[in-house]
Amino acid sequence: MEFIGEHSLIGNLGQAFISIAFAASLLAAFSFYKSSMNEQLKKIWLPLARASFYTHGASVLGIISCMFIMIYNHYFEYQYVWQHSSLELPTHYMVSCFWEGQEGSFLLWTFWNILLGGILIKKSKSWEPAIMTIVSVIQIFLVSMVLGIEIMGLKLGSSPFVLIRNLEENLGLPWTEMANYLQVVPQFLDGRGLNPLLQNYWMVIHPPILFLGFSLTMIPFAYALVGLWKKQYSKWVNEALPWTYAGIMVLGTGILMGGAWAYEALSFGGFWAWDPVENSSLVPWIILVAAAHLMLIYRAKKAALRTTISLTILAFILIIYSTYLTRSGILGDTSVHAFAGGLASQLLVYLLSFTVVSIVLFLIRLKDIPSNKSEDDSSSREFWVFIASMVLFISAFQITWFTSLPVINKVFGTHMAPPLDAIALYNSWQTPFALLIVFLIGITQYLAYNKTNLRKLFKQIAFSLVLAGVLAVTIAYTVQMWHALYLSLLWATLFAAISNFEYFRKILKGNWKHSGASVAHIGFALVIMGALLSNANKRTISSNDGFIAKDFPSNENILLEKGDTTKMGNYHVLYKSDTLLGINKTYEVEYFNLLEDSSFDYQFTLYPFIQMNEIMGNVAEPATQHFALYDVYSHLTYADTDEHDPNNPYHHESLINIKQGDSVIYNQHFLYLDSLMVNANTTESARALDVMLIANLRMQNMQGGITTTQSIYAVKNNMAQSFPGFIEDGDLKYKFLFDEVNPEAGSIQIKAYEHIDNDKPFIVMKAIIFPYINVLWIGMILMAIGTGIAMIQLFRNKKQISLE
Amino acid sequence: MKKTEIVLILLVAVIIGVIMSLTFNASTYITFADAEKQMGKEFTVIGELNKDRDILFEPRLNLLTFFAVDSLHNERKVYYHDSKPQDFERSEKITMTGFATDTGFVARTILMKCPSKYNEQQHIDQDTLTSPTY
Repeated sequence: MEFIGEHSLIGNLGQAFISIAFAASLLAAFSFYKSSMNEQLKKIWLPLARASFYTHGASVLGIISCMFIMIYNHYFEYQYVWQHSSLELPTHYMVSCFWEGQEGSFLLWTFWNILLGGILIKKSKSWEPAIMTIVSVIQIFLVSMVLGIEIMGLKLGSSPFVLIRNLEENLGLPWTEMANYLQVVPQFLDGRGLNPLLQNYWMVIHPPILFLGFSLTMIPFAYALVGLWKKQYSKWVNEALPWTYAGIMVLGTGILMGGAWAYEALSFGGFWAWDPVENSSLVPWIILVAAAHLMLIYRAKKAALRTTISLTILAFILIIYSTYLTRSGILGDTSVHAFAGGLASQLLVYLLSFTVVSIVLFLIRLKDIPSNKSEDDSSSREFWVFIASMVLFISAFQITWFTSLPVINKVFGTHMAPPLDAIALYNSWQTPFALLIVFLIGITQYLAYNKTNLRKLFKQIAFSLVLAGVLAVTIAYTVQMWHALYLSLLWATLFAAISNFEYFRKILKGNWKHSGASVAHIGFALVIMGALLSNANKRTISSNDGFIAKDFPSNENILLEKGDTTKMGNYHVLYKSDTLLGINKTYEVEYFNLLEDSSFDYQFTLYPFIQMNEIMGNVAEPATQHFALYDVYSHLTYADTDEHDPNNPYHHESLINIKQGDSVIYNQHFLYLDSLMVNANTTESARALDVMLIANLRMQNMQGGITTTQSIYAVKNNMAQSFPGFIEDGDLKYKFLFDEVNPEAGSIQIKAYEHIDNDKPFIVMKAIIFPYINVLWIGMILMAIGTGIAMIQLFRNKKQISLE
Repeated sequence: MKKTEIVLILLVAVIIGVIMSLTFNASTYITFADAEKQMGKEFTVIGELNKDRDILFEPRLNLLTFFAVDSLHNERKVYYHDSKPQDFERSEKITMTGFATDTGFVARTILMKCPSKYNEQQHIDQDTLTSPTY
């Protein structure tokens, strides 16, 4: 049967690309494997292997292009398009539709792997066959996630090219048999649209960067695995090092961008909530950092190779675990934003196979891996870098273990509940780890390999230690942070930042080429410092004094009536107006300082808004005023978003039956029907007017203030028409409509309405001050730059080594 | 590498500490009835939102009240002194942290498990598309 208006060609094409991409990745893996066996086989198989990988790459580009064409042209007969986009979506957010769904995000990952694979084919020289075998195997797994086929009753992957009428649950339904279903079923006219939370510019750049970070962890993993497989126990380190730093830079930037997005666009109030989704991308980064430092130590001292290999492999395994946690739906009960899905078991197979293969290979080779038997001096750089890496490992372990609680429950059949105050728990564990790490960052650059002259070391760092102490006390004074652990952490971060700067200035003599470590370490110290200062000292200025129980504030929100100025923290705030702009209802909130002469000094205006989304629910988006030393962050927690008809601003109809001379109580007023005048017109000109009734109404408020009005009921040509009367009592406005006459009861019926402005509109808002949060963002940028410099330098070194 | 061995022992010790601390500190999910045995003490209860009863949000009081049914099918009124979370009506499971009182359960935090966007969308399909419109 021919379905009218269905664009089946593009879907078939896309599905064909998927099949080719999958088949080509199988062929690539096999032929790269063959060509890795020996030089002779390499000559035969390598051209085929490369051709297969390029074919695979081209097909994945084909898949992605097909998806964009579908999304761009609104082919809502496709499940993916219908679910993730809509007609009114601006073009720049269509990119986000692509990765909102599972299928798209796996494709994004696949895409980055292909780019990296292409670079590896060109640049990895003799490593190419073995490395690319592993890359190709990873690609097999990734493409299988979007395969969408059934083999022997086993559903493999979910394709982005499924038509809604072909969905399992729709099979056999009557409408799927109709050739013109696209025209008669109204649901197909428009899609559900993009999740409003993702309609934010950060969400256009954050996912691609994060996924590139995911992809980059694959390269050190592949090198470590090949190192074991081909018994190149030490050579892989030099190859993997620059890529590891690339991974640290990109993944770290991606994670912090996620934080920036959360801070700018989400309303949980902060940039980090120890949410499982955040944790599961942070953990691989921490492990990767530990692995990278051990690689440097190994390169210099040929020590701790086994640990280095384990951590390098672990970083990638944790990336898959992270994907499993966030994509399988297992987090359901604990995460604010777990994306659920049905690919769980497939991901589990993926995770287990990589883990098992790595462990088995590692154990087989364990005896072979060279190890350094000599004792490290406890004043040596290698010893302390090793310690620091182990602290990082424990820190990552704590986060993973606590985040994995739902997994532990599932595996052991326990019913442990997530901690009551998760953020406080994570902070109390991670603060000491951070303190150790940051302090070690401050000294290790000054430590020498083998043995350090401690007297010289102390001379070098004494200045930084003292200056950091003075600064720490000064800063702590400005925010009144005297908690001993926090104060020590503040001092340690300042010390790390200063001593690394001193190292750059005095020992590197400002040489940028070798400044990578210094700059990145300063950046990391500032990130921790910014996180500490802004989080430990954040003040919810919108809170009132209400408590429900001990340590249980009842209200962190402030109620603002339109036009009233209310005290909030040190500010006075005024909710001035609201406007609907497109899909955003924006609220204008002005901030003032109260001066000594009781006048208000205007400071700034914030525009928190609500993104209206009928299908997925409205979303409150924050507005933040940035200052050099602090931010004022605010978001709405309640607002009436109903739009009123401007031509009829009255609502809340009530029916009033009243006799002449009687009174009723209406809305805290007495309402009198003083008189009812009958005006039967007999003049020639108004012949058509049959009868006119005039109700004279009087309204009296509780203070005795009186207002009157008339409502007229006219019958003309046997048609009744009513003209309303209006009453204003101060700000209160009412409308009265003479509705009908009850001759038997001798009364009349009046419909009374209140003006919409009688209920003063109000919003409920939360506002938080984050001190020194800019330190965090500056730190993030420095960390990215520093890691970037290190990466470039390592790539150069690698080139030199391979030339020698 | 004796020092390394010491470090490794310390490492294992901390790891055991982490594992133990979670096991001993973690509260377990309990029912309303259990929470009522120790009124005022904080617990975590998982319940389902009763969508047939009133879900009332009073912005001026900053109070959300709703009815939740726990795993033993006991229903309690829940008081939540904060704004109504986005998509609250759509939630299936609600994880509530708070304490029991005579009149109901007072929640400090609530977390919702929303039905997967995928599943939900398919429910819409089924409801509306099974009966053709002509």
